[in-house]
Amino acid sequence: MNKETTRFLSRRDCLTVGSAAALLAGCAPIARRFVTHPEDLPLPTGDIHPTVRLLNRTGFGPRPGDVARVEKTGHAAYIDSLLKADIPEDLGLQMQLQRLDVGQIDDPDIEDLPRAEVIRQLQQAAILQAVYGANPLKERMVDFWTNHFNVYALKGDSAFRKGGDERAVIRDHALGNFGDLVRSSSRSPAMIAFLDNTQNFKLHPNENYARELMELHTLGIGGGYTQKDVQEVARCFTGWTIETRFLRPKGKIRFDPDLHDDGRKTVLGHTIPAGGGEKDAQLVLNILCAHPSTAHFISAKLVRYFHGQEDSALISRAADEFSKSSGDIPSVLRVILDPVRLGASPPIVKRPFHLIASALRATGGDTDGNNGIQKHLIDMGEPLYQWPMPDGYPVKTTAWTGSMLPRFNFAQAYATDSIPGTSLGSVKDPFISSHQRRPQDSDGLLLNALRGKKPEQALALCLAAPSFQWY
Amino acid sequence: MKNEWWSCDGGGGRPVGPGQVIASRRSVLLTAGSLLAGWAGAGSALANLTLTDKPVHDRIMVVIFMRGGADGLNMVVPYAESAYYRARPTLAIAAPNDSSAKAASRTIDLNGFFGLHPSLAPIHDLYSEGALDIVHACGSNDQTRSHFEAMSTVERGAARDHNGPASGWLARHLAATGGNDSPLRAVAFGDTVPDALRGAPQAIAVQSLDDFTLQGGPLYEAGLREIYGGKDAIGHAGEQTLAVLTKLRDLDPKSYKPSNNANYPKSDLGEGLRQVACLVRSNVGLEVACLDKGGWDTHVAQGADTGWQASLMTDLASSIRAFMDDLGPLKNRVTLVAMSEFGRRVAENAGLGTDHGRGGPVFVFGGGLKKPGVFGTWPGLAPDQLDEVGDLRVQTDYRTVLSEVLETRLGCDDTAAVFPGFVGPRLGLFQA
Repeated sequence: MNKETTRFLSRRDCLTVGSAAALLAGCAPIARRFVTHPEDLPLPTGDIHPTVRLLNRTGFGPRPGDVARVEKTGHAAYIDSLLKADIPEDLGLQMQLQRLDVGQIDDPDIEDLPRAEVIRQLQQAAILQAVYGANPLKERMVDFWTNHFNVYALKGDSAFRKGGDERAVIRDHALGNFGDLVRSSSRSPAMIAFLDNTQNFKLHPNENYARELMELHTLGIGGGYTQKDVQEVARCFTGWTIETRFLRPKGKIRFDPDLHDDGRKTVLGHTIPAGGGEKDAQLVLNILCAHPSTAHFISAKLVRYFHGQEDSALISRAADEFSKSSGDIPSVLRVILDPVRLGASPPIVKRPFHLIASALRATGGDTDGNNGIQKHLIDMGEPLYQWPMPDGYPVKTTAWTGSMLPRFNFAQAYATDSIPGTSLGSVKDPFISSHQRRPQDSDGLLLNALRGKKPEQALALCLAAPSFQWY
Repeated sequence: MKNEWWSCDGGGGRPVGPGQVIASRRSVLLTAGSLLAGWAGAGSALANLTLTDKPVHDRIMVVIFMRGGADGLNMVVPYAESAYYRARPTLAIAAPNDSSAKAASRTIDLNGFFGLHPSLAPIHDLYSEGALDIVHACGSNDQTRSHFEAMSTVERGAARDHNGPASGWLARHLAATGGNDSPLRAVAFGDTVPDALRGAPQAIAVQSLDDFTLQGGPLYEAGLREIYGGKDAIGHAGEQTLAVLTKLRDLDPKSYKPSNNANYPKSDLGEGLRQVACLVRSNVGLEVACLDKGGWDTHVAQGADTGWQASLMTDLASSIRAFMDDLGPLKNRVTLVAMSEFGRRVAENAGLGTDHGRGGPVFVFGGGLKKPGVFGTWPGLAPDQLDEVGDLRVQTDYRTVLSEVLETRLGCDDTAAVFPGFVGPRLGLFQA
């Protein structure tokens, strides 16, 4: 959303009048405004149970018993515990992950596997951790950073490098320091190859990584850099490539001084002296990470992700904290995950990955994360690591409301226990078990529809209902 | 396929996971023809539909977005410019009369100055017949050369970057014209609704009409109809989905058989356009269809008369040609626009590719065109005629073309509402 939105019809206006149809049929002046500038459809008016919402905002939704536990702990204390993310992972989960080839980081033999098999295993690992991970906020931040530093697994050999990237870059720093995260991403073979830095040479610089590093990873568009800065940063990164030489550790990141442009550069007004060699990249990253635009851009994106809206006061507090703490992610999140503000923010539509994980968790279901469940993720439009552009899957509601049918089919397949490798849990009504009480909005309708239905039909409707799509 | 970054189609871009998803789509393709030959025969649902349903809206807009920044200079080649050949020693496409190149590698002359890339041969007949116009050196005023910013600008119908409305230009057009409550009024082929349709109450995304089926039987469907009342964005989307389901059940798109021996390629674009043709022919109220053709970000190893970009052009041209063949006289009701977020740099780079640029061609297909031609002002390719980065200058705002299509072809009487703040000249592409 940008500032111009306020000139047009706001969400609040939509809610007041009712629906788009009512607007078009109703009073002329407002209808005229709508006709000229249709905005997103209204958000639901009903309440979502505050603890259920908190568990969905800071994780992938409640498991049976979580709501009562978190209410006993208190929301603020619960968020504190999430930020520590120090709960040991379940042994069963660890064993399942270790069985995967992609779990063996740096395994050179992984390239012997078919690419589709590697991607299947990567998705499997992600699903298992979202459903069974012991530290929910960490899993949410993995989802956030994986998309922020998106690598398209179908480009070139990306699939074989994404497993290492996911562990050494994304998971290791998900709740660490932002600067460490960007630095490790800049040394990640997956990222370096995806954004063509392997083609970035002294005589022929390639701007792709430099541009996205500033536009998407750090400063953000409008963050104060110019086309000239893009070209200068590209020069700083010349020579960073992937090891392909005989008898060397294949696939590792490597700096080739012969391919590096060692002249003097100017980046955002800072001088990078000539002769810096491989230090140039570090200097650039220091400049970018310390830049106020980065603090603001990352804070604003996190606020949108967790609150579903712009909140300029919160963004500026978070950005201050970002600068003060030199990019300490938990410190920034502590500001952003203000339970009162979270409770007052507008509902967000679950992305498919979230929908699947939250449905399994709410009902106490089990999954092997394999083909059976992955088919639904694909049908719903979020096959993991397969968003082709470097900006990651969108969060905005309108990106996901166009395709509801696969959500209906997932709810039905899961509720009738007919997803291979996935089994239905014991909880047949996610609203009674985890929501404590049913949310208000369309659930008058839902309650009516459930009347006289068999348990599996009722569960399918609960999981397909609008109130289970919002959080 | 290895270099096919951000491909949204073809084998390289298919979601990878369980094989059965891909297999089922394929098998549908292979068996569709043999299973149901008489799709439009007497007694079929379509025949009934056509008899009872009058066209809700008789003009249809199809938009193909070439995502990634298509190198327009190698699509509609200014072969008469020597500067073109100097800037592209490896990537240039030979002039139509260049006997040093194989005939099949040369551009296909359009007007003595521009020619089509040989892989675009399937659409050359459309040009000759007057069913294709090209506007060259066209684009937005976006200066960032960022895919995301440029796409956002063009899909929102804005002048540049963050200025202008948040909704999509097609959404505003649909809202401004109204009068068609078909659930299939605006269809996007793909996983998501593109930004151009953002805010359109009736837009729906479908991966394939053939696979648009609800599991779980009538009781489940009835339950869904009860709980999806259309109050909020999700409620509305679900209600819309259920309405489409009903409509498609009557229509039976799986058994659609193209007319006039139209030969669609077995690609996502070909398959998508086949389904658009099915919707056009069956008068279900389709007004806007959006399709993506990805993979144009040819930084490295772009290819010239053959190779990466050429294969994209082959698919694009043969898909569009099949669509137009299939429609036959119905194409007079249809306008198809193919566009990209920006063109690419005039000079080739050291990786034998091209970097992000500015101006490029917009293709306008369909009925009602005055005469074939390459329109717009040509700024020239000599170094002093390029912009400061070395890109083809944008001489025609893309909104000029879209405004003209909307007001001449789609009955939009207030293009200023669709493109706020834009007042531009008209090129006069269409008959009055």
